[in-house]
Amino acid sequence: MLPTDRIRSASLERSLLGRDASIFEGGRAGPVCFPVSTEEVQGCVDAARRHNRAVVPRGAGTGLAGGAVPLEEPLVVVTTKMNRLLSVDADRRMAWVQPGMINLDLSRATAPYGLHFAPDPSSQQVCSLGGNVGTNAGGPHCLAHGVTSAHVLAVEVVLTSGEAVVLGESDGWAPGLDLRGAYVGSEGMMGITTAIAVRLTPDPPAVQTLLLAFDSVDSAAQTVSAVIADGIVPAAIEMMDNNIIRAVEEFVGAGFPTDAAAVVIVEVDGLPGGVAAEADRVAELALGLGGSVRRAADDNERALLWKGRKSAFGAIARIKPNYYLHDTVVPRTRLAEVMKQVYEIVEEHELQVMNVFHAGDGNLHPMLLFDRREPGIMPRVHAAGAAIIEASLAVGGVLSGEHGIGMEKRDFMPLMFSEADLDAQARLRRAFDPEEMANPGKVLPTGASCADVNALDKVPEGVWG
Amino acid sequence: MPNGETGAALESFAAEVGSDGPVAVVGGRTHWEVGGPCPDDTRLVRAPSGVRSFDPADMTIRVGAGTLVEELDAVLAEAGQRANLPIVPEATVGGVLVVGRDDVHALGRGRLRDVLLEAVYVAEDGRLVKVGGPTVKNVSGFDLCRLLVGSLGTLGLVGEVILRTWPRPAVQQWLSGPCDPAVLRRELYWPSSILWDGQTSWVHLEGHESDVESEAELARSLGCNPTDGPPSLPAHRVPTAALEAGRLFDSYLVQFGTGSAYVHEPFPLPEPDPAVVALHRRLKAEFDPRGRLNPGRDPLAAL
Amino acid sequence: MSAKVSLGIDPEELASCVSCGLCLPHCPTFRVTGEEWASPRGRISAMREVQDHGAAVDAAFLSSMDTCVQCRGCEPACPSGVPFGSLMEATQASLARRRWGDWRRWGFRVLGHRWLLSLLSRTLAIVQRMRLVPSKRLGLPLIPLAQERLRASGDDVWLFTGCVMDAWQRSTHAAVKRVVEATGAGISLPGAGAGCCGALSLHAGLENHARALAIRTMGALEGSAPILVDSAGCGAALKEYGELVGTPEAAAFSRRVMDVHEWLAPRLEELPGVAVRSSDAVVAVHDPCHLRHVQRAHHPVAEVLARFATVVALDDEGLCCGAGGAYAAMQPELASSIRERKLEAIERTGAQIVASANPGCTIHLANAGVVVRHPLEIVDEAIDHDG
Repeated sequence: MLPTDRIRSASLERSLLGRDASIFEGGRAGPVCFPVSTEEVQGCVDAARRHNRAVVPRGAGTGLAGGAVPLEEPLVVVTTKMNRLLSVDADRRMAWVQPGMINLDLSRATAPYGLHFAPDPSSQQVCSLGGNVGTNAGGPHCLAHGVTSAHVLAVEVVLTSGEAVVLGESDGWAPGLDLRGAYVGSEGMMGITTAIAVRLTPDPPAVQTLLLAFDSVDSAAQTVSAVIADGIVPAAIEMMDNNIIRAVEEFVGAGFPTDAAAVVIVEVDGLPGGVAAEADRVAELALGLGGSVRRAADDNERALLWKGRKSAFGAIARIKPNYYLHDTVVPRTRLAEVMKQVYEIVEEHELQVMNVFHAGDGNLHPMLLFDRREPGIMPRVHAAGAAIIEASLAVGGVLSGEHGIGMEKRDFMPLMFSEADLDAQARLRRAFDPEEMANPGKVLPTGASCADVNALDKVPEGVWG
Repeated sequence: MPNGETGAALESFAAEVGSDGPVAVVGGRTHWEVGGPCPDDTRLVRAPSGVRSFDPADMTIRVGAGTLVEELDAVLAEAGQRANLPIVPEATVGGVLVVGRDDVHALGRGRLRDVLLEAVYVAEDGRLVKVGGPTVKNVSGFDLCRLLVGSLGTLGLVGEVILRTWPRPAVQQWLSGPCDPAVLRRELYWPSSILWDGQTSWVHLEGHESDVESEAELARSLGCNPTDGPPSLPAHRVPTAALEAGRLFDSYLVQFGTGSAYVHEPFPLPEPDPAVVALHRRLKAEFDPRGRLNPGRDPLAAL
Repeated sequence: MSAKVSLGIDPEELASCVSCGLCLPHCPTFRVTGEEWASPRGRISAMREVQDHGAAVDAAFLSSMDTCVQCRGCEPACPSGVPFGSLMEATQASLARRRWGDWRRWGFRVLGHRWLLSLLSRTLAIVQRMRLVPSKRLGLPLIPLAQERLRASGDDVWLFTGCVMDAWQRSTHAAVKRVVEATGAGISLPGAGAGCCGALSLHAGLENHARALAIRTMGALEGSAPILVDSAGCGAALKEYGELVGTPEAAAFSRRVMDVHEWLAPRLEELPGVAVRSSDAVVAVHDPCHLRHVQRAHHPVAEVLARFATVVALDDEGLCCGAGGAYAAMQPELASSIRERKLEAIERTGAQIVASANPGCTIHLANAGVVVRHPLEIVDEAIDHDG
C-alpha cells in the first residue's frame, strides 16, 4: 500500500475531488490516493476491494463529460504524481510515459528529437495522457493523423482484480484480440492505466496556415466539404462563427475579420511540394466559393491565428460566467444544415451560442453561454443541449467526438444504440471488470450496473490512515 | 441508413446465422487456416455484399462485409480514394478485417485497426449488434470496433461495415537496396512502407510529385534504387518482438511500423501473459459463451 | 480552530471560476504536488466550500490557503479572467483577523519604519559576520554592513526605493540610478516617508496596514513625474494602489508607476555605447511573477538586456521560483521544491548568470548557488559611463 502521506481523507480534499471540469457538481470522493508506481496502484485497488469500495481513476480533472466525478464515495486514484517520461526510443518513434504526464509536456520533451505526440486537445497544456487514453481524446490536429487510439501502441493497466497487464505491444502488434484498442476510450471503467507506450509523430518539414473568411456560414461549410472532396486531408480545419470571431478579436486581436459570418483556419503540413500545392488548391476552392484568403506569412502570424482559435474559451468567459460546451459529430456533408438547426434551437430556448469547432471531421462544439444564477436557466440549457444532440443524430451523427460519454451523455446512449448494442458494451466492460467496480455509473445507461455500488458499506474514516 | 434501423440484407444474414449451432462466415478463403481449423460440422454462411452508400465528400463508405476488397477498391478509385485495407485478390472486406493483417503501406497510411468506423455484426444469440458510429470521429461508448479487427469472427459475425477512406496519392514509387531500414526511417519524412529481409530494404514513397522525387533522391543517396515492388509477404505473421527475442528464422520480411514480420514456416510463440489469456477467455465467455462462432479459431494463435 | 466564517469574498468574483483546470500547470504548488488543494482551482473550490456551504476553516483549509505563493501565474492562464489575487487577498484578510497573534502581523510592521528596519538590518549584518545566524536556512542574503548614500539628481523621474531592498541591496538601486541617469534623466528620491510599499502586508491579509503604507508612499512621491520601480513585487503593488486605496488620486498615482525596464526600453538610443561587453557570458532572464503575471510587463527586461549581453529565455513559461516575498521563509519545503524546477530550467539554458528584476527572487535563487544579478546591474557594468 502507499505511505500515509499520500493518502488523504480530510473532508476538504474529498470534496475538492468531487468534480472535474464538467458542469456536474455533487460528486464526493472517498479516500484519495496518490500512487507513484504500478505496484502502489495495485495496492490501491486491493484496498478498495478489501473495503468494498469502487475505484475511480483521475488525472488532471479536465474532462468535460463528468467521467472523473466520483459517485458514492469511491476510492479515488489520482495519477498526477505518476508524471515521468519513462523512456524515449526516437528510432522506433515511440516513448513510454506514466499516465499523469501532461500531454504538452510530452511533446516538449520529445521536441529535441523532432517528434511530437499528435493528439492535441484544447486542454493539452494541462490534461494528462492517462486521461487522453481514458477518453480517446482528439484535438484540432487529429484530422489527418487520427485520435489518441491511433497513437497508443500499448498500455499497462491495473485491472480491478489487482493484476497488472500490458495490452498491445510497444512495437505495434501483439497476437490476439486488440485489447489495447478496446481499452482506449473506456473512461476509467476497465481498469487504471499505469503506463502508456505512445507513438510519436515526426514534426512536419513544412507548414502553411490559411485564414479563409466567408460572408455566410453556408459557404464556409461548403468550402470545408469541397476541400475534403478534392482529395486534400489538411492537418487541421477549424471553423469559427461570427459571434466567436467578434469575441476573440476583442480579447486577443488576432486579426480575424469581424464582419465575416465565419472564418475557417486550414493548416496543411508535410513535405514542401505537397504543402504548397495543397495550400494553393485550398485558396482556389475558397475563392471559388466567395471566400477571401489570408496566408500566414511566417511563424509569428501562424502562431497569432492559432492563438485566436485557442483563446476562444477566454473570449467567451468574458461574456457570460458559465458555458456548456457540447460535442457532437455529424457527417461532414451535413455541417451547414446542422449548424443552421443549432442556431434555431438556441434562439428557441433564448440562449446565446458561439461555434468554434473541428470542421474537418464534422466535430461540432456549440458553446451555450449562460449565467447559472439566472432563475430557470438550467432547464433551458439542458433542453437546448438535448435538441442539439437529437439534431446531430438525425443526420447520421454521433453523441460525442472527443469528450466522451461520462455522466453527461449516459442517458442519451439509447438514442444511438439499441438494447442489444448496449448489452455488447456492458459485456466488454464486464470482461475487464467482472464486478463493475471501476468508475461505476458512467457511460452505460442501465441502472443495473450501479446497484452493487449503491449497496457498498461506508468505511469509517481513519481506516485509510 | 438511419440509426437503429437495419437493412433487409442484414436481417436475412442474421436469420441465416440463427441462434444455434456452430457457424462461421466464409469469404474468399484466402486466410482460411489462420487461427486454427474450423471443425467439419461448422455451418458456413456468407455475409451480405455490395456497396450500401458512398458519398465521396464524407470520405466514408458503407459496404456489406462480403464485398470483395478489389471491388471496394475499384469503387473508391473512381472517386480518387482508397481505404487502408490490404488488396488481396478474392478476399472479402469482412475477411481482411477480422484476419487483421495490415496493408503493406500501413507505415504511412495508417493501420488496419484504425480503418473501421462502424460495424454491424450478428451476435451469438442471433441479434444484430451495432458498434462504433458512422462519422470519422466518435467516442460514443466503448470502442468495440477495435476489438472486431483481428477477432477472426470469434466475438460476432460481421455483416456490414463503415470504413474511413483517404485520397489516393498522386505519385508513388518503390525503391530497394542494401540499406539500413532504421536509417531510412529516420531520414525520410513519411515513407508509406519500409520492408526489410535482413539484407535488403524496400521503401515506398507517395504524395506530391516533387516531394516523391526529393525523397527518392534521398533514398538513392542511402543506397536504394527504383524497383517494381517488394516481394510478396510470406504466409505467416509473427510479432517483431519475437524476432528481437532472438528467434532465428531462415528468411523473414519485417514490416516496419506494424510490429509484424512475415515468415514461411509456422512456429510456436512464447506463452502469452496469463492475464492476457484470461482476458481473452472472459471476452469469449461474454460474447460467445456457447462457443458457436467460428469454432476452432483462436485469435492468440492467429499467425 | 474550526468555526463557521464568511471569508468576505465578493460573490461575483467567487462565482467566476468554471473549474476548467487550465490554471493547474501554471501553479507552482500544483506543479510540485499534483494535488488539487494546492491548485488555484482547488483553492477557489475550498473558498466556496467555506463561504457558500459553511465548511469549517480547519487545518486543511488553512494549509491550502497559506501554501499559495500568490505569484498569480494562474491569472494570465485563466480564460474566465478570475481575479485570483483578489480572492486570495480577501481570504487572507479574513483569516488574519482570526490570527491576530500571528508574528507576521508584527513582523511586517517593521517594514514600515525605515529607521527600525535599518537598525535591525545592521544588527543582523553584524550577527551574520559573527556566524550566529543560520542565514541560508532562513533564506537570508549576506546583509551589507555599510550602505552608500543615494543622492537626488533632478526631477524627471522618481526612483522608488522601498524597504528591505533599500536596507539590504542598496547597491542595486545605485546601479539602476546610474543607468537611468546615463539617459540624461534626473532622479528624485523619496524622503523618509516612503518605506514599504505594503505588498507583504497585503499578501498576509493585513489590508488596513497595507492601505496605510500605500497612503504614506503616495504622499512621499508627489507631482506628476513617472515613478520608476526596480523591484517587480513593489512595482506590482504600486500599480494596484488604485484598487487598494480606492480613490481617484490613488488610481492616478498607479498610472504613473512603471517598472524601470518599461521606462528604459524605448530610451535605449539615449544610453551611451557599450564600453565592456561585460563578458560573453550568457544571461538567462528570470521573469519575476509580479512582473510577468501581475504587471504583464516582462518583455522590456529582455529587450533592454539584449543590447548588452547574450540573452536566453527560460522554457518554463514563467513558472514561479518559489520566493514569493516572505514565502520562502514561511514554507521552506515547498519553496525549495518549486525552486528545483526553476534550477532545472536554468540549467537547460546553459547560462552562467541569471538576471532577475525582483529582490526576493534574487535572494531565493542565490541561496541555491546561482549567480543572480539585477538586469540593470549588468547594464551598468557594460555601458561606457564616460562616453
